Amino acid sequence: MASVRLENLRKEFGTVVAVKELNLHFPDGKFAAILGPSGCGKTTTMNMIAGLETPTRGSIYFDDRRMNDVPPGKRDVGFVFQNYAIFTHMTIAENIGFGLKIRGVDETTIRREVGKIAELLELTDMLNVNAGRLSVNDMQKVALGRSMIVKPRIFLLDEPFSNLDAAFRAFMRGELKRIQREIGQTMIYVTHDQVEAMSMADLIAVMDFGVLQQFGSPDEIYNQPVNTFVANFIGSPNMNFVACSFRSEDGKGYLVQKRGSARIAIDERRRQLLEHHSGNQDLIWGIRPEHMTLHAEPISSDCIQAVVRFLEPLGPKTVVHLRLGEEHIKVIAPPSYREAAGVVQWIQINPQYLHVFDAKTGVVIR
Amino acid sequence: MGGNVAVPVIQDERIGETGRVRRRRFLDMSDVRIFSTSLTAPAQFVLLFIIMFPLLAEVYISLTSWTPTRGGDWTQAYRFWDWGRNYVEVFRDIAFWQALGRTFLIAGVAVALEFLLGLGIAFLFLEEFPGKRIFYTLMLVPMMIVPAVAGYVFWLFFQSNGPLNAIISLLIGQPFTLTWLANDVTAMIAVIVAEVWEWTPLMFLIMLSGLVGLPEDQMRAATMLGATAWQKFRYLVLPILKPIIIIAVVIRGMEAVKIFDMVYLMTQGGPAQATETISIYMYKVAFQQVRWSFAAAAAMTILVIMTIIASYALRPLQTPQREIG
Repeated sequence: MASVRLENLRKEFGTVVAVKELNLHFPDGKFAAILGPSGCGKTTTMNMIAGLETPTRGSIYFDDRRMNDVPPGKRDVGFVFQNYAIFTHMTIAENIGFGLKIRGVDETTIRREVGKIAELLELTDMLNVNAGRLSVNDMQKVALGRSMIVKPRIFLLDEPFSNLDAAFRAFMRGELKRIQREIGQTMIYVTHDQVEAMSMADLIAVMDFGVLQQFGSPDEIYNQPVNTFVANFIGSPNMNFVACSFRSEDGKGYLVQKRGSARIAIDERRRQLLEHHSGNQDLIWGIRPEHMTLHAEPISSDCIQAVVRFLEPLGPKTVVHLRLGEEHIKVIAPPSYREAAGVVQWIQINPQYLHVFDAKTGVVIR
Repeated sequence: MGGNVAVPVIQDERIGETGRVRRRRFLDMSDVRIFSTSLTAPAQFVLLFIIMFPLLAEVYISLTSWTPTRGGDWTQAYRFWDWGRNYVEVFRDIAFWQALGRTFLIAGVAVALEFLLGLGIAFLFLEEFPGKRIFYTLMLVPMMIVPAVAGYVFWLFFQSNGPLNAIISLLIGQPFTLTWLANDVTAMIAVIVAEVWEWTPLMFLIMLSGLVGLPEDQMRAATMLGATAWQKFRYLVLPILKPIIIIAVVIRGMEAVKIFDMVYLMTQGGPAQATETISIYMYKVAFQQVRWSFAAAAAMTILVIMTIIASYALRPLQTPQREIG
């Protein structure tokens, strides 16, 4: 087991900068996710940790040892590839035992260790099956087992569940978390699926265009996004963003919608903060759909008025799409909500969950 | 052919307007089986004739003591019928077995070298290097040269006052005048060198296509598990390329056994019989000694031997992959 530390890590492919001065510290024994859209540099980062790519600049440390010049096979890293890279000409047992075989471990020990892993992954009945004939789900398990058997210090998983069917994916999310807790290894996990990251990881690093956006616990990432990118990327349905400007009247602060007439009051701390913010005429307020409630009548003076456009009933909840001035917002309502399009609704915003961003930089103001 | 087709019990479509059952015509083209058979039949007859006729004629001649010099054409060969004495003679003929042994030696050594060289060079061509395209084209040149021309070039190359000796003289600083083709061992080496030179490119091409198609992810996975380059070759590259390697070696092996033009131009099988391969032997028996029926028997013997060897060599390809337990 080991911690992983990246220091000013940079990777260029020709003129393209895949990863820009990345600084990250994954503590020992934690389950961490690198989250971001395609092409954000997350797989490149992973490959650099594994040693499959050489960084252009910067350092990689496992604990306190600099790993840049250590070849991939000597880094003691378990890597599960996106398409599993199962050795299709071998049986499942030969696949799982491969790491031990090339280390010169004797046959009896290999068989015993393979047996243990197979038990853990529920593959015992299939050990002699040719790996070329496996379903994707089983390939996933074999790939995990093949990495686990050599007891690597660090586990890297590159989008391990992206090819699985939905039901098995949900199952494996739970399984992987259980396995990680059981063996207590540092696991780093690349994904573009925020649900996967949120549900499994202790820590999430959100990346975009090769730049680290935010690194923190799922709770921090969700509740205190540092910029509009993170705020937008995390959460489904995603956060509502409304362009607004700051106004101060009679010593009270308001955010006034630019493309509509909505106005929300803000507390004193925020008022002072925005008062002194130079770009306070060019702001964005952000609020998640689940942090608003819909009412037929204004239940307080803070309510804003919107018109229902259509509903998206999802079973446990209903996503209500509304028109707020010229903008489109989404609010989560109880499953019983059945108002028709065109109905006027009053939205009560929970001010505790209101985020204010600078419209030019996208950075949160708090 | 159509007469064997069972008449269907239900014949509704055959009942004419008068209600009478129409008689089945010979070669009823509305029957799919007859129609398709009649379409392919001409080609099959031609093929059958091309393959079977020479083979049967050879078997027939080999069982007689007929040769053109004994009068009558080959159809009259039955007058010299001798119940396979030729086969006994072939089995007793030391020159035949020596020629066969020599052929296997040349083919074995040459194909092994071609395989190793071809695979090695293919590995080099996986990397990028300046002038790769030019080298790639140059690599393929030997294969495109007519073997007879190549044989003549190598005949010149190995002369006592030829380029090879000139180069060696230059390197060792004194005149070197070995007559390569006049010495048993060096003549054999010369023939093998020529054969390897001509056919390594084919091996190279086949191996390169195999290597390019290797699953990169599996190689990376093995790297991550700590496999060395040799272990990756041993446990991944070889097993994955196995079918390609077997086919390449078998094809090349069968071709190499037939080696004739190169040897004939370089040594005519000499000095004495030192490089007399089975093809040269057959040529001498058939066209210099004019023992046609004996040559036919020898050819049949070789055919049987080669068929047995080839079917054994290809056996690993025929076994199906392990079934699900």
